[in-house]
Amino acid sequence: MRPSVRMLLATAAMFTALPAAADDSDPIKIGLLEDQSGEIAITTLPKVRGTQLAVEEINAAGGIAGRQLELIAYDPQFDNAKFQEFTRRLIDSDEIDVLFAGATSASREAVRPIIDRTDIPYFYTNQYEGGVCDGNMIGTGGLPEQQFSTLIPWMMEKYGKRVYTIAADYNFGQISAEWTRKLVEDNGGEIVGEEMIPLGVSQFGQTIQNIQQAKPDWLMTLVVGNSQASFYEQAPAAGLKIPMGSSITIGLGFEHKRFKPPAMENMHVAMNWFEEVSSPEADAFKERWRAKFPEETYINDMGQNAYAAVYLYKKLVEMADGSTELADLREQIATGQACIDAPEGQICIDPKSQHVSHRMWQVSVDAEHNVTVERSWDKVEPYWLGEVGCDLTQYDPKDQYTPSYLPEPQ
Amino acid sequence: MKELLSLVNGPQTFGAGRTFWSIAGLLLLAALVFPFFASNYTVGNVAYFAVWIFMALGLSLIWGYGGMLSFGQTAFFGLAGYGYGVIAINFGQQSNLTLVALLLALVVAGLLALLIGYFMIYGRITGVFVGIVTLSLTLTLATFVNQTAGAEWRIGRARLNGYNGMTRIPPLSIPWVDGKLYFEGTAFYFLVLALLVLTYLGLRILVNSRFGNVLVAIRENPDRAELLGYDIRRYQLIAFVIGSTLAGLSGALYTAWGQFIAPASMALPAAAMPIIWVAVGGRKDLTATLIGTFLVLWLFQSLIVVSQQYALIFIGALLLVTILFTPGGYLVWLFEHWQRLVERRRERTAVTTAPAPVGSAAE
Amino acid sequence: MLQTISYLYQVADVFAFLVLAAAGLAIIFGMMGIINMAHGEFIAVGAYVTTYSYQAGAPLIVGMLLGAVVAGLFGVVIERTIVRRFYHRPIDSLVATWGISLMMTQGALLLFGSGAPGVGTPFGSVAFAGGSFSVYRLVLVVVAVLMLAGLYLVFMKTRFGVHARATMQNAAMARSLGVPVDRIYAATFGLGAALAGLAGGLYAPTMTLSPMIGSSFVIEAFVTVVAGGADVLVGTPPAAIALAVIKATATAFWGQVYGVMGLLVAVCLVVRILPEGFTGWMTRRRA
Repeated sequence: MRPSVRMLLATAAMFTALPAAADDSDPIKIGLLEDQSGEIAITTLPKVRGTQLAVEEINAAGGIAGRQLELIAYDPQFDNAKFQEFTRRLIDSDEIDVLFAGATSASREAVRPIIDRTDIPYFYTNQYEGGVCDGNMIGTGGLPEQQFSTLIPWMMEKYGKRVYTIAADYNFGQISAEWTRKLVEDNGGEIVGEEMIPLGVSQFGQTIQNIQQAKPDWLMTLVVGNSQASFYEQAPAAGLKIPMGSSITIGLGFEHKRFKPPAMENMHVAMNWFEEVSSPEADAFKERWRAKFPEETYINDMGQNAYAAVYLYKKLVEMADGSTELADLREQIATGQACIDAPEGQICIDPKSQHVSHRMWQVSVDAEHNVTVERSWDKVEPYWLGEVGCDLTQYDPKDQYTPSYLPEPQ
Repeated sequence: MKELLSLVNGPQTFGAGRTFWSIAGLLLLAALVFPFFASNYTVGNVAYFAVWIFMALGLSLIWGYGGMLSFGQTAFFGLAGYGYGVIAINFGQQSNLTLVALLLALVVAGLLALLIGYFMIYGRITGVFVGIVTLSLTLTLATFVNQTAGAEWRIGRARLNGYNGMTRIPPLSIPWVDGKLYFEGTAFYFLVLALLVLTYLGLRILVNSRFGNVLVAIRENPDRAELLGYDIRRYQLIAFVIGSTLAGLSGALYTAWGQFIAPASMALPAAAMPIIWVAVGGRKDLTATLIGTFLVLWLFQSLIVVSQQYALIFIGALLLVTILFTPGGYLVWLFEHWQRLVERRRERTAVTTAPAPVGSAAE
Repeated sequence: MLQTISYLYQVADVFAFLVLAAAGLAIIFGMMGIINMAHGEFIAVGAYVTTYSYQAGAPLIVGMLLGAVVAGLFGVVIERTIVRRFYHRPIDSLVATWGISLMMTQGALLLFGSGAPGVGTPFGSVAFAGGSFSVYRLVLVVVAVLMLAGLYLVFMKTRFGVHARATMQNAAMARSLGVPVDRIYAATFGLGAALAGLAGGLYAPTMTLSPMIGSSFVIEAFVTVVAGGADVLVGTPPAAIALAVIKATATAFWGQVYGVMGLLVAVCLVVRILPEGFTGWMTRRRA
């Protein structure tokens, strides 16, 4: 009798050991939902390519914790309903371990309710208006406090205190305009005009007249999308030559490659990545990218963010000893040590907001559309959410806050 | 049973015989049973497709039977969706009864449809201009909601939130023995299935009744119908309100399913989609619309999964081919061919079993 | 003084945009009762051909004319193969042209990727009464007026024009009188497509080049055609003027959002008051 009990125990031990062995050869499934067709595909296709490049590199180097990465991607065609549809598919049918999805905030907000009910981490890799305090989400794009706090004081010192803002008339544009107003006024300046432009508008005759009449020192342009970008062509054509500042031009929509010089002359932008940035990591990254995608017009910030995010995920999983569980990854985020050397520079996940600190770069564009890097800042923190009371190490409201919608005091 | 059949069968819908209803019964049985065999994903996916069918059926009523091309379906989709969101966010927590929010959202959509329909139809706007006015109103609504991102745009505790969409909307639930019963997953599927069966049968009864006959008469020749003494505007308005409320049902269900609604659901190209589905499946028949829309949605999804960025090209080609070869809709074409086959076979059996002509017997 | 000049300039600018965007659509709708959902894509064809020819070294004007011609040929081909089956079936033509539009847009994205660098607006700017204005946009106003004049000459003074108007009024009768109706349809659709391509070529220097460039024109074109009615000569100009005034005024006082919404609300009112658009109003007055 006793020998069989021993055999039974041995067999039991064998079976408990087996699942662990099976895990090592299971691929880690990465879900990707980015537009490959539709309104903004020109700027989001680099996200797909950046993710593909990162996955390929990581797999060639042995994967994450010995497991290969499997990339499952669908094209949501700029349709929020399809984002929802395919998120469900990725979760229920493809059983992904991590999700990278969404360019517009609308698509992100469509995805969040669905992913929030699971234990799957969600990387939102786009620059946006900020404010999402959600334990499932890790935001790796640039934020208003990072972009405006660096750019605006410099512009005001160099060009003057009278500022005119034109912004796309939706959440991102409105909140960015709010940030601009706050920072301009905090620095002793004056907003002499603020115009909101509905998405899809492409004719700026009246707006240009208004700007000319207001005679600002410089212009904050927060126009979004192909149609609105026509402003950059129409303004100089009408004789409006004035310094411009922005948080989304050049690095995101590569207007300097798509408009004839000198349309973008005197444009100054602060973002966490431009292809023109030069450093050992950045140059090596650009070489690898162009080796795989020689036809790429411009490696924009979305592409770099998407690439870096995969490596950030890799770092988290390795810190968690190979676990892909959200709880384990969040434990590692809470240590404040989740950092990687991205092509832009070092980026770290902030424990309170689960957004990323960035190396910020500021560029200027001249009459021939040459881009010069003016300055850079190390480790600009995503401080705003923590400041207003979001602390994901303590509680998880799964909400999005704005300067006019703050969290209730806890 | 026979009485029910006599109500749902009639000249305005295909399929009245035993074959049709047996197949329908089998499909219903399959639909009831399949969640127990299929994966969670498939059940959820089928339910998701079914949510859009109400909007298509509504358009079939307004356009296929009523002859008015309304581009406004997505406007009512959005209005009911936002309505559900506003009511559920403000009252859902206390009452635990967000199902009521769904019903109230439908009432709101219906009332607005009555208002808009009244001004349009009694303002003598007919034909293709119904489409133009409804499209303009839909786009105006979408443009307006797009810029309501500021904190001042709120109804109670519910922020409209502009382009980004309204979020944190509670899902459908009713009070249950131990807390709440959430309509999610399989429960949601059965709710949508029940609503779909009720809507389909209800619409069948409606269009096969006197109301439906008059509506079709108005579609075919409004002047003649008026000369015959019918108040054509009343019939058109009723059809418009019912059809638009069904679009609202789609909207409220979609919002409850995804806990999210955004103005993009109302703008182009979303506004054109119901028209595309219904034109391609067959607008003049309810069954064609129901099955046609479901198959088209499933096909579009499969094309995207398989061909990624080439999907739009295939979808465009598919639309073109379908409308070229089967202009009334592919399912209508199929039904008509089926009917013709059946009739031809009936004729043949009638010929072979007919009694010999009188003359030849006189030998 | 500057305010008035600025306002007049805005009205003229919007007028030109509406006329150039809508002319092609109006001709096709007026002649064949077809809603061409691919109108935006013909505009895109014109814009792309213009930009690429300019990049290849051709003078800008040549590029624009080439854009119009290529778009026109495209139109003729599509008409002969597909659209001819959908005359006076506005809904089926809507679905068919929507399918064509999907294929063309995505096809352009796949073929051309992010698009070539733009052309750049020619002619610079002129200072006047304290403000500065783009000369090119004034040129566009002149072009819009010339286009209307040209269409008048074509439809009123040429044999093709007579045939086309006859076909528009009563195709069966025209055919029985020996008018080559099929060829007229093809030519008219081609003309409509060419005008769309010309609009694309004319505005390409002032806008971002992308496969979706046509979508910036579609709403304005649609609104102008509805308000103008079926006749491009009699209906489109007054409709364009009225809508330009509405849009310019709304934008000047309340901003761009109200400019867009103003247009859409205006179209509802026009449909209510003038069911056949300005065409109906003008022809009734003449009679």
